[in-house]
Amino acid sequence: MHIQYGKKLKSGPGHWGLLLLGFWAAIALAGFFVTPYAPDAYTGKAFLAPSSAHWLGTNDVGQDIFSQLMAGARTSLGVAVGASIASAFLGALLGAGGALVGGWVERLTMRMMDIGLVIPPILAAMLAAAYLQPSPVTLVGILAFFFWPGTGRILRAQTLLLRESGPVTAARTFGAGRGYLLRRHILPDLAPVLSAAMIHDARRAVFLEAGLAFLGISDPTVQSWGRMIQQALAFTYLDVWQWWLLPPGIAVTTLVLAFALIGTGLEETHASD
Amino acid sequence: MLQIEDLKVAYGTEEILHGISLTVRQGETLAIIGESGAGKTTLGLGLLRLAGDTATGSVQWQGQELLSLSDEELRDIRGRTAAMVHQNGGEVLHPLYTALDQVAEVVTVHFPVAQETAREKAAETLSRVGLAADRHGLHPHRLSGGEQQRVLLAMALVNEPALLIMDEPTSSLDPLSKAQILQVLGTALKGRANLLITHDLATAATVADRVAVMYSGRIVESGPCAEVFATPRHPYTRALLRAFPDMTTFKDIQCIPGHPERQVCGCAFHPRCSQRTEGCEASVPPLTLLQEGRLVACHRGGIVPMLEVVGLQKKLEGRTIIEDISLTLQEGETMALVGESGSGKTTLAKTLMGLWPADGGTFRIDGKDDWQRKHFYERIQLVFQNPKEAFSHRLSVGEIVREPLDIHNRGTKAEREEKVRRTLIDVDLPVTEDFLRRYPHQLSGGEAQRVAIARALILDPKLLIADEITASLDAGVQARVVRLLMRLQDVRGLALLFITHDIALARKISDCAIVLKDGRIVEAGLSSKVFSNPVHPYTRQLVEAAPQLHRG
Amino acid sequence: MRVARLLMDYAIAFFILCSLGFVLPRLLPGDPFLAIYGEEAALSMTPEMKVEIYRRFALDQSWTEQFGAYVGSLLRGDLGWSYFFNTPVMRVMTGFLPWTLLLAGASLLISTVSGFVLGLESGSRKGSRWDKGVFAGLMLLGGVPDFFVGTLLLLGFAVIWPLFPLGGATTVYGGLTGWAWAIDVLRHLALPLASLVLARMTTMYLLCRNSTVALLRSPFLRTARSKGCDEVAIRYRHLGRSVLLPAATSAGLHLSHLFAGILMIEVVFGYPGMGTLLQRALAARDYPLLQGILLLASVAVLGVNFIVELLYPILDPRVKTVCTSNTGKN
Repeated sequence: MHIQYGKKLKSGPGHWGLLLLGFWAAIALAGFFVTPYAPDAYTGKAFLAPSSAHWLGTNDVGQDIFSQLMAGARTSLGVAVGASIASAFLGALLGAGGALVGGWVERLTMRMMDIGLVIPPILAAMLAAAYLQPSPVTLVGILAFFFWPGTGRILRAQTLLLRESGPVTAARTFGAGRGYLLRRHILPDLAPVLSAAMIHDARRAVFLEAGLAFLGISDPTVQSWGRMIQQALAFTYLDVWQWWLLPPGIAVTTLVLAFALIGTGLEETHASD
Repeated sequence: MLQIEDLKVAYGTEEILHGISLTVRQGETLAIIGESGAGKTTLGLGLLRLAGDTATGSVQWQGQELLSLSDEELRDIRGRTAAMVHQNGGEVLHPLYTALDQVAEVVTVHFPVAQETAREKAAETLSRVGLAADRHGLHPHRLSGGEQQRVLLAMALVNEPALLIMDEPTSSLDPLSKAQILQVLGTALKGRANLLITHDLATAATVADRVAVMYSGRIVESGPCAEVFATPRHPYTRALLRAFPDMTTFKDIQCIPGHPERQVCGCAFHPRCSQRTEGCEASVPPLTLLQEGRLVACHRGGIVPMLEVVGLQKKLEGRTIIEDISLTLQEGETMALVGESGSGKTTLAKTLMGLWPADGGTFRIDGKDDWQRKHFYERIQLVFQNPKEAFSHRLSVGEIVREPLDIHNRGTKAEREEKVRRTLIDVDLPVTEDFLRRYPHQLSGGEAQRVAIARALILDPKLLIADEITASLDAGVQARVVRLLMRLQDVRGLALLFITHDIALARKISDCAIVLKDGRIVEAGLSSKVFSNPVHPYTRQLVEAAPQLHRG
Repeated sequence: MRVARLLMDYAIAFFILCSLGFVLPRLLPGDPFLAIYGEEAALSMTPEMKVEIYRRFALDQSWTEQFGAYVGSLLRGDLGWSYFFNTPVMRVMTGFLPWTLLLAGASLLISTVSGFVLGLESGSRKGSRWDKGVFAGLMLLGGVPDFFVGTLLLLGFAVIWPLFPLGGATTVYGGLTGWAWAIDVLRHLALPLASLVLARMTTMYLLCRNSTVALLRSPFLRTARSKGCDEVAIRYRHLGRSVLLPAATSAGLHLSHLFAGILMIEVVFGYPGMGTLLQRALAARDYPLLQGILLLASVAVLGVNFIVELLYPILDPRVKTVCTSNTGKN
């Protein structure tokens, strides 16, 4: 059955997910070029309530919270996109590639994935981060390293399925070569599975980036929603939590939700075919 | 006794069953047969309200109206007094429980007994249906298809229900497992009211007392199993039987033309029926009584007889050539008329064709005996043994085939030419100008015979008498001509009176056969019977003299 | 065969996890001693302590010997010396572990059971208003990161509406005993536990709902219905039994998420478990302690997953017969 993924995302949960993601992508992109203040600049008085000068007020050392929120979006989305692409690349190379090449390469990559799957990615990433105090780029590397076996396994399974599928067998009986099969039959049908895995990884990456910063296991010079929450949590006895603690929390939540909704939208596409 | 009245089951707005009425008496097995999609399974499940969104009508069982019971009351009946044997396949059994546990559950659900008691009862039932004791504790995936079917059977039997509904209990099994299950069923069904749903006619024939044929959510025919299978009265039933590969029938399997369609006006089968008339699409035919125990739903009262002969007699030059000939040939069937030379076969053909007047007895074509000449020859046609003798040497192929149209003055010249072409294509002949302009002496034997057949068919007759038409042909051409006739029979419902002395050929193409000796019928009946177990010594002689390639 | 292979996979995974603590600090430029112990610890150490540490980790010798020493000390259960507590890391952790185990056990149990029941009920009523409501609600909840759920609950039920204590595991200097102590513990447990359950339940719920929906048209349900089973028996004995399979696997596989969540939730509520300890280690830059905590958590997850894998054939009798083909499972 022919499924139009784009069409499916035009309504239902996927639609809302795309809207949310678009919103944060816009904020993050804007954050690359312009923020009201430098996120780490001390702009004056501490604990200012929201005003036209400081849309979300200032924190305990007088930094502009809205600027930090924009910078946090940049970090969060950057890590999410980077980790999901890197993990997808490794997963495709070792999972799908291994399944296509066969022989000892396949056995080796399969074994690597079996072992990789046993390692809990979130805790292992935290452990690695604890040693490395990673910058966003290093964090992308760490996440990709622990995420790829999951992606790889799904791609491998799908590739094996496709390799033996009716259309591929039929094409082979017409004399199709490897390149043709890959281009015409295998890659197009891997795309939906790969995109679902990437969405999943992006969601976990957002969550982990914030979580690591919240625990303080990341580069302290990089702006992050998790770090904002961690810092704000010390001041719950003041009213500032309303504009310091809630916004980054809501930001992480909505971004994670955006990916979850898109994932659900794609899944429903699968379920209804 | 199970009594179903006007049962209608629908999924949403789509009605699957359009008013089913049936009764199953205690101790009796009723088989429901039909193609997939006819609604058989919906019927079986619908009785216990396991299918469909809405069900109307009435299902009376042991004095209760099943359709108006509460869910709670119905649950009490399911598995206890009325049980289902499901079709095996695709996790009908729960994959994670052992066979024994799944059978025992049916006991504990209905009776307040200890787990151990239930298991003992389950084990006993499993052994009774032939599952070895050391396999009781296995999970379904370790059991073979036949064993799984036994578990499903034990599940239904463990509470000794009075009503047993079986949905394709043998369909997914290999022939040996099937035979074993049928053996188990033979004893298990005794004393209960049984409903057997199957598309496997052989299973129905083995187990059932009565059979009901379903098509498109309706019963089209019902009656005692043996009678329905021997003499089907609904064209659909006959088509089902002809499509079924059967060891005792020698005629090739024949497909049912067309496809089952939903949303058909009138009789649901009429688009696929070769004997349909205008009335067939006007209304749905009611199921009416034909004779004791036999019901059929057909506007034409079932398969119509094309040729009915009663006591026909013919004398030539004072000598009685044929005497007391009585036979009935149904629409769409082939009757082989066999006998040695001089037994009166050709005389019978010529008399039936009205070439010679009869000296006694009557015969009716398509239900009438007072046809006008022209209309008569639109219904019945004859093909001779030696076609070239029947062609004028002055006429070309095109003119020969067109001649009947000219006589009947049908259509314009262009329409006639077109009809000639189509008929020639029907009989696998070329339609090039060159071929149409050929003269009889330029044709080969096979070509000439097919030109003769084309000429006989051009008026679209319903009955064709073929008098030794392949006698002068070699086997290859003969096979081609015979195949052609069979195909026309499938498509047009052509009735064939096939006169031959070749028993082997007769057996391959006929539904019924008549053996003629010295102008009298010495044996008649279904071909499978006549040629496999000939009763009359003369028939036996003929069968023994039939051609055989492999001796011994 | 299957078990041997599994054991092999887990052993290698365990080895990789342990090696992280060896390889990563040495990948960084500079003195591995500083990478392992941090600058502050190095500054406050006496020269004798430094010598002792150099000896213990064989830092002045070749990589292979360093590695041997590292693995050797790990195998002895020696996770190093906590400079901040001035105690072996192992002993520091055992003091904080019980509270984390309490939180982990309770939240795992409650979130699994409630996620299972809600998923089953919701899935078997697919499309109903009830299902849609629960689905939307839990989807939303599942998007909220653990520590933010905790933060919201803290704000709601301890700050704005002070029903529960702000933090800690017991009332300090309360001097409570017996039932009063137990109730005090439960009061302190309530919010962190609720946060974890709310944040973690969605995964289990979604999984169970999906499995239920996928099984909804299974022929064996019709078989059960024709046996005369009532809806509850069908839902739990027949559907539930099959859903339990992926649910149990998932509970094991998501244990690492739970542990990560616990570490964060404890920080929010100042609950005196491994999470709080982790935060203190971070604040004090007590690296051996930090690594010990995360290593312990990873290894615990590894252990539980291994047990789940071993139990799997009991849950799913079909596995036994396909032990030779291990392709694409998991």
